[in-house]
Amino acid sequence: MKSSKPNPKRVLAIDPTSRGFGFVVIESPTTLVDWGVKTMRQTSQEKLLAKALQLIRHYRPETLVLEDQKGSRRRPRIRGLLGGVCRLATAEGLKSSCVPVARVKQVFGTFRANTKQEIAHVVAQQLPELAPHLPPYRKAWMSEDYYMAVFDAAALALTYYNSRLLRSGGMRRAAPESIVEGPKPLGVA
Amino acid sequence: MASYKLPNYLRVHRKRLGLSLNEVAFLLGWHGPSQPSRYEHFSRIPALHTALALTVILQASVSELFSGEYQNVKDAVCRQAQRLEALLTKKNPDPPTLRKLALLKIIRSVDGNRS
Repeated sequence: MKSSKPNPKRVLAIDPTSRGFGFVVIESPTTLVDWGVKTMRQTSQEKLLAKALQLIRHYRPETLVLEDQKGSRRRPRIRGLLGGVCRLATAEGLKSSCVPVARVKQVFGTFRANTKQEIAHVVAQQLPELAPHLPPYRKAWMSEDYYMAVFDAAALALTYYNSRLLRSGGMRRAAPESIVEGPKPLGVA
Repeated sequence: MASYKLPNYLRVHRKRLGLSLNEVAFLLGWHGPSQPSRYEHFSRIPALHTALALTVILQASVSELFSGEYQNVKDAVCRQAQRLEALLTKKNPDPPTLRKLALLKIIRSVDGNRS
């Protein structure tokens, strides 16, 4: 009963954190299939890679979307994990797409979303299933919310779709509401 | 043709409604979450009674919940419809046969129109 063939539209986006990774599985810019956070008490790269492999084999996505390591300020352990997941995707016959953080900021900048919190709000408007998990506004003394990794992964996936649509010529570059095919987010002029 | 869709979308519908596996199991009248989990991991297909109960709980139709399975079944039925159409056209078509052929054409056109 497993889904044997990769779906040409299905995308798995992974965003590593200090204790694991957040992920989303998306079939279109408005269709969320699964989302969540995988954490481990003692973070071991092999175990995290095993969890990522489990997700890849379960959902058989066409593309794996990750943060681009070039120009990234991530820790070496996280970079190692990103590289490991990338190799895993190649071994499983998946395309992997590395999205630079600058590109995410550029795309969400058109929605006047510049901080992670603002980007999370735009993501929640685009994918309403995530709205109940929207992290509260982060004060200076608060650590990052557990669920923020899911929003970061969703932002990567939506940026990937945006880039793909632009490449295919299906959209005009200037229209800010054309980030994704869904409804125009609220609060955007 | 194998489906590109997942066999079922139970997990996404459950998570959208904010229900836990334990709660779904309780609503189905079971004691533990293991069986619903097996459905979500595509290792088991629910029985008709359970599938209907799931449509009530998750507020979605069977074809939405089990998109991949539905697509596979539809493909198989369309193939059989094509065969039956070939068998019926060999004989002299009387009015009932013509009606059947029209029905088979509709069934096959549904397959052709799918996305």
